[in-house]
Order: sequence, then structure tokens, then C-alpha cells
Amino acid sequence: MAEIGDIANEFIRDEIDEFLEKENERNHIVELFAQTRPLLQDIAAALIDGAHEEVDGLTQQALSEGIEALEIMDDGLIAGMGIVGIKFRDNFIFVPEVLACARAMKAGMAHIEPILSDSGVEPVGTVVMGTVKGDLHDIGKNLCIMMLRGAGFVVHDLGVDTSEDEFIEAIEEHGAKLLGMSALLTTTMPNMGKTIEAFIDEDLRDDIKIMVGGAPVTPEFAEDMGADGYGKDALSCVELAKELLSE
Amino acid sequence: MSEHPPSMNSRERVLAALNRQPVDRTPLCNPTSVATVELMDLVDAPFPDANRKPELMARLAATGYTELGFDTIMPVFSIIQESAALGCKIQWEQKDNWPTVRMNEPIWTSPDDINVPADLCTHPDTRCVTDAIKILRKEYGDEVAVIGKTMGPWSLGYHCFGVEPFLLMSLDDPGKTKLCLDRMKEITVEYGLAQIEAGADALTLPDHATGDLVSGEYYERYLRDLHIEMAERLPVPIILHICGRTVDRMEYIAQTGMAAFHFDSKNTPMESMEIVKERIALVGNINNPETLFSKGPEVVREEVYRNLDAGVQLVGPECAIPLQTSIENLKEIPRAVRDWHAAYDR
Repeated sequence: MAEIGDIANEFIRDEIDEFLEKENERNHIVELFAQTRPLLQDIAAALIDGAHEEVDGLTQQALSEGIEALEIMDDGLIAGMGIVGIKFRDNFIFVPEVLACARAMKAGMAHIEPILSDSGVEPVGTVVMGTVKGDLHDIGKNLCIMMLRGAGFVVHDLGVDTSEDEFIEAIEEHGAKLLGMSALLTTTMPNMGKTIEAFIDEDLRDDIKIMVGGAPVTPEFAEDMGADGYGKDALSCVELAKELLSE
Repeated sequence: MSEHPPSMNSRERVLAALNRQPVDRTPLCNPTSVATVELMDLVDAPFPDANRKPELMARLAATGYTELGFDTIMPVFSIIQESAALGCKIQWEQKDNWPTVRMNEPIWTSPDDINVPADLCTHPDTRCVTDAIKILRKEYGDEVAVIGKTMGPWSLGYHCFGVEPFLLMSLDDPGKTKLCLDRMKEITVEYGLAQIEAGADALTLPDHATGDLVSGEYYERYLRDLHIEMAERLPVPIILHICGRTVDRMEYIAQTGMAAFHFDSKNTPMESMEIVKERIALVGNINNPETLFSKGPEVVREEVYRNLDAGVQLVGPECAIPLQTSIENLKEIPRAVRDWHAAYDR
């Protein structure tokens, strides 16, 4: 079993010491980073620090040194976002800090994505995502999309203010088996239920899984609305998506 | 409450509670919106016109008092009236949806862009509110508290800069962010004063530095002092409204000198009262989506009792309610308050 001292990057070691409180998570992250190349640890550290220009430069450096794009994404960018997700979930950081990390992830992914899409890697699944009708908030949804794409999903982003018909059309057009809906307002949350009813009316409900999330949404509300799952944050959204597609 | 004064009218009751003076019973307060589709149909004042025409706005708002039995009337259903006057693109929507600012099309990117237009308070969408307040004041005199609403600088930042750019700026450049907030604060004060002049008894000041987005430390760093200043400059009781989990900033909120804090059901009444103590009144916090929208009157009643048992000074929904909420659930709030007092004051 790896020890924290096996991790070369001091910043990562400090982050683990200070913010990872659950033993199983801590062990998993230590194990992961202990086996990661130092340069990819540096990418993860810069991402956690929200330093997008540094991530941009280090990602290019890693590619120029011949490291595979998939390895850079998994062991550098996504591994870094894993720690960011835990810090966010446990209220050590809030949305501005997560946005800075997401900006850093985007800077790295700008170099990785074209290579991966050319390589024809089979996607984990296809998801349609959107913020419900009447709601123009998209930060949470965008974070989920970034994490889903990073985890190998193809995501079709319908943006904000998405009507029931737009959700239905997108599911049919892309043959997606998973729908994700977001709402930030208690006043627009009922539109999640309306959308689910529209899928029932069109006799499409049994063909797809539906996950919902957003600051005011709760597991109870998700169940009442008839959703298949609720994701508290971007990190749990990825786990939920995998779980729902495996059912 | 055993030594309560003799019977008060609604306005007296609300103002006394906001000033933390004795009341004959706990006031029923709506600092955000209790407009519903059912109420729109009842008085023929539907969205979006009820957000843009003063007569319809006043008529729909009055139902909070005449039909539901609240002690307040709140004519500002949305949070976008002044943003419309500032030049933000607004999606006015239809009867069954709320108007919203198109925040993905921001109008400002730097402090130098911030401009308080000469017509801030005479623009049709801001004047609609002041005209509605005048209508309500004329119609109801001093019998019911009329509450206005002026958006705080943090919320205006979301509308005018876009949520994501504004939050990133707060991290990348705190000095620039503070300068922006300081300039936008003048919009809050100017529009608030216009509503007071029109006859508002109190103002709700939504400033969405919610725990779902930013830390309690952020509130202290960026907003506490601005809120102190606004409480001093606006000469009526101010009800600060912040959604979401806020217990980590209630200590700072209690220091602002605002009359009341409108709190969300993510914070229990008991823990919230313990933090703020006697320094600020609390308004709230009946859950919207799960209770008022989805459950029945008996659950509404339980939540009302939980607030009253904790000593919350003014009872009402936690935030603007979904437009499809049933009137029956809303009417249960005043019924429960009266029943609780009948049992407790006996």
C-alpha cells in the first residue's frame, strides 16, 4: 500500500493532509498519485490551485514529452478535479474556486480533446443535459458536463431554458439513454416534473434514465418528481450516470 | 407572547415585529412573492403583464392580503425590475413562468461600465413598481404593510456581469470586485428610496451571496459593511433575503443593523435563532418545493409550528413560491399561526 510520502508533489501531499478526511478516499487518492508521473502530479496541483495558464503550459509540455493524451487527462486533469470535487462537497471551497479549477481543466482539455476525438475511443455513454424551462442558471450543469466529458461520456448540452419538447427531440435525435436536468430556482424546479410527464405522455419514459440536480433539489423531491436519481454535485453526477447506465 | 398588546392591525403588527417590539400575534410576512397561477386567474392579473402594468401588479399583489390572509402585500414578484432599467436583456416569459434576466448576455465587464442611468426609477419597469406601491397605499391606507424590493449589489452583479464572470472576478481580483459592488450599491439605494417615497413600509433586499455559491467568509469580506451602510441609508426596516444554507454567515448578517433576515428552510429555525439571538428578526422559513408545492396542509402546519416554537418573529414562505402552488397550502399558514396562538396564549 502506497504512503503519502510516495507522492512527489508537495502541494498534492498538503492538499491530501488538509482536506481529505475520509480514510477510504484518502487511501484511494494516495494510491493514485503515488503511481502518477511527477509531471502529471504538477498538472493536477496546478489545476487544484486554479492556475489555468500553468495547466495550459504543463499539458503542452506533457504532450510534447510523448505522454499519452488519455493518461494526461486521467492522471493529471481528472485526478486533480477529484480532489477539487471532494473539497467542494465538504465545503472547504465554494463555486468561485471550483470555477477557477474548471477554467484550468478547460485549458488542459483544449489540447487533449482533439487528440481523443481523433483516436476513436468508444464513449462510456451518451447523455443529454439541460437546465429546465424558465431557468437561466448553468454553472452547476456546466460543471457536471465537464466532469462527464472528462469521464468519457458524450454529452449533448441543450443549454438553459430548455422546454420539454427540446429535451424529447434531443433524446430522440442522439439516441441517448440518459437525461440530466438542472434547476437552481425553487420556482423552476416543478418544470423537472413537467418534463418527466412529457416523456411519459410520449411513451418514452421507459426508454431512458433521468437524473436531476441543482442547489435547491433534494433526493426526496427527485423521487417525488419521478426521476431515477439525484446528484448532489458534479462529482456524484458522474457516479450516478455510470450507475444508471449499468442498470 | 403572554404580555402582548391589544389587537393590532396588519401594518402595526408587521412593523412592530420588524422593530422587535411586542406584537398581538406573530405576523404573516411575505418578503418575496406568493403570486400563483390560481391567484392570477382569480383577479385576472396574469404574468407577464402583472410584472409590467402597475394596476395588474397591485391587484395580484393584494391577493396575498385579501385572499391568503397575510399581513403584508409585496408587489415585486420578480427580481429583475431594476435590471431591466439597467439594460439587461429580460425574458418576460408567460403566465406560468417567471421573468428572468438573460445572464449569459452580460452588459458589463468592468467597474467603468457601471452606469446608473438617469431613468433608473422612471423606466417603465421600475416605475411600474413605484406606481403599484402608490395604488396599494391609496387602496389599503395604513391597514396592511406594503413591502418593496430593491436588489443588492451582489445580485445585480450576477445580472449585469453574468454569474460565472462575476464569481471568477471575485476570486481573481477582489479589489475590482469591491469597486464594482461599491458602485452598484448606489443602484440599490436609489431604487429603494424611490419605493419608500412611493409609500413602502419596508424593503426586501435580496443579495444572493448564498451558501450554495460562496462561503460565509465571502459574505463578511464583500458584503457585511455594504449591508451596514444600506441599513443606515434606507430609512425603513430592511429585510435581507439570501437563499440556501446561510448559518455560516448569520453571525455577520446579525451585525448589519438590518431589521430582519428572510431565511431558507435549509437552516433550521432553532439553530438560526440561536445564532442571531435578539440582534435581528427572522422571517421564514416554510419550505417551497417539498412542502408548499408538493405536500398537503398538515405538513405546512408542522413547519409553521416549528418556526413559532423556535421564536421566529415573522412567518412566511422561505422564498418566492412556485407559481403552481395551491392556494389551500398557502392559506394554511395563517390558519396555523392563529391556531398556535390560540393554544399558546390561552
